[in-house]
Amino acid sequence: MRWKQFFTPAKSMNSAEAKQLLQDHELTDVQILDVRQPAEYHAGHIAGAILIPLPRLSDSYDLLAKDKPLLVY
Amino acid sequence: MATQQLAGNGFTNAINLSGGFKAWTGQSAFDGEEDGLELFTDLSKPTDVLIMAYSLEEGLQDFYNSMVSRAESEEVIKVFTHLAAIEDLHKDRLFKEYTRITGSDDKEKFLAKMQKQMLEGGLTTEEYLARFGTDLERVDEVIGMAMSIEGQALDLYSRAAQRAEDADNKTTLEKIAAEEKTHLERLGELMDSILGENDG
Repeated sequence: MRWKQFFTPAKSMNSAEAKQLLQDHELTDVQILDVRQPAEYHAGHIAGAILIPLPRLSDSYDLLAKDKPLLVY
Repeated sequence: MATQQLAGNGFTNAINLSGGFKAWTGQSAFDGEEDGLELFTDLSKPTDVLIMAYSLEEGLQDFYNSMVSRAESEEVIKVFTHLAAIEDLHKDRLFKEYTRITGSDDKEKFLAKMQKQMLEGGLTTEEYLARFGTDLERVDEVIGMAMSIEGQALDLYSRAAQRAEDADNKTTLEKIAAEEKTHLERLGELMDSILGENDG
């Protein structure tokens, strides 16, 4: 348990801002993370999004680049 | 919550999409709501819409065919072959509709007007590959890409149908939209089956 997480402010973007972010970056320079369940992901997701269901997230940090923008939903 | 968790673990550029996926207005695609539709709204004549649609179908068919030649899984080959064949039916239907409206069955002239480089979603193949960063060696990524394109196509036809003033033209676009929906479902099933295999 990392308590720090409760005090770390996280940036937030609405849909339009997020789209702008994606348009301003090459896909290799931005990450999109889908933390929902596989069934939800399969029913529809933002193109290019990586699926890491929330229960697996804390074990999957290695799959993500820490320095690149990471859009999470 | 996930974003805060990530931010607390060194992901300094983690950004929460407020409202989550439900707030996302583009259907399984990067493009804004109006992207792609411009192809149709800029074209005031139903015949131009049909020509554009035909080129989009051909683009997607090319994509499927090229994937068939690269794929190793029999299941993927079977599904993509099927999807490529259906695009032939769509193309025939679009040309018949063009003939009905114009009274001309000069296919050469029709094809000459076609823009081959366009894919169904309204972007070129190169733009698509670059935009999606698709790893063509990965079956699930290829299917995911196909789903994104079909999703765009479905959206495109649906909205073009809504704006069509000619009743028969509207019906044609609606029928194709319905079939794109079936494509999407079929690709989803393929994805589930592939992922199921991979997950053991």
